[in-house]
Amino acid sequence: MEIVILISQVLMALALILAFVRVVRGPSLPDRVVALELFASIVVGLVGLTAIQSDVSSFLDAAIVIALMGFLAAIGFARFLERGGPRDD
Amino acid sequence: MTGAIWNLLLALAWVVLSGDFTGLNLTVGLVFGYITLVLIEPQVEALQGYPARIPRILGFLGFFIKELLMANLKVGFDILTPPWHMKPGVIAMPLDARTELEITMVANLISLTPGTLSLDVSDDRKVLYIHAMFLDDEEELRRNLKEMEYRALELFR
Amino acid sequence: MIEFIKGVFILSGALFMLLAALGILRLPDLLTRMHATTKAAALGVILIMLAVALHFGEVDVVARALAIIVFILMTAPVAAHVIGRAGYFVGSKLWSGTVKDELRPNYDPLTHELKSGMETEANARREPKESDPS
Repeated sequence: MEIVILISQVLMALALILAFVRVVRGPSLPDRVVALELFASIVVGLVGLTAIQSDVSSFLDAAIVIALMGFLAAIGFARFLERGGPRDD
Repeated sequence: MTGAIWNLLLALAWVVLSGDFTGLNLTVGLVFGYITLVLIEPQVEALQGYPARIPRILGFLGFFIKELLMANLKVGFDILTPPWHMKPGVIAMPLDARTELEITMVANLISLTPGTLSLDVSDDRKVLYIHAMFLDDEEELRRNLKEMEYRALELFR
Repeated sequence: MIEFIKGVFILSGALFMLLAALGILRLPDLLTRMHATTKAAALGVILIMLAVALHFGEVDVVARALAIIVFILMTAPVAAHVIGRAGYFVGSKLWSGTVKDELRPNYDPLTHELKSGMETEANARREPKESDPS
């Protein structure tokens, strides 16, 4: 079990690095926002793994908060990008 | 809705009475509560239609998970192999869903199946614009989307 | 047995997340990148949360893990929808291999009006109303 968790952590760290490359390179702002949202998802997964590894279930609260923040940030960025348009939704 | 609340209350009563506070026991309580509701459905007016809805929801969940896994593997294969097999494009799908809630549910389900992403709804709420990743067989894709919408709407009506 | 299922869930979840990251790096334009990230990453989080639920097996932890799963299932498509729409209307380029675009001709960038393409003569005709200014 320890080895499986270790391998998964390595894979997810790799995923974080790849997403970070897109944040740096991303030609436009929406690309970077998408990459940052992926960041939030991967961090939620990592926190879940930490909860399994350390047997402390309180980590899940942190995971909930991170997921919530990622979602709100995405909504906020979208509103920012679409500013000025008279859309009523 | 009344049926769901009664089912949950019966399950909670089961858990409290048996004194075993685990998820497994709660599941057992839910199953027993459901069986009870099926048995008394002919007598109680308010429960009409609830027992038939649960198998439909379960069937829909199975169908949805199957779609999710299959399509994810397809997208994954295209990402991992160097030449692009995909033919992306934006298509317009006429909606059968009428109320805002139904449109939201259908759009969310379409977004969750890989290969399709709902972009926007037209101002008169008649057409959903979808970005699809594999447009090799447009007719097939439209048929799949329609089937998913039909199954989702079945749950509400 | 539970250990084995847990390991499979964790590994496949991590693999799906890596797949999402590879997709966001390799795919050519914004909308196709969103395909890779939202669904694969959401599936990865769901699998890992299932593993967490299996690992602890207590009611409160299972309830919290299920709450995260439901939350992800509800928010991931909404976030994808708002970012995709904002990106599309802000004017991010589509990939050169895109075969068709039925949205562009129906969209008016000045008024932000989005037609359905199903308006007929009868729907478009406007009857004079009482409340119209004279």
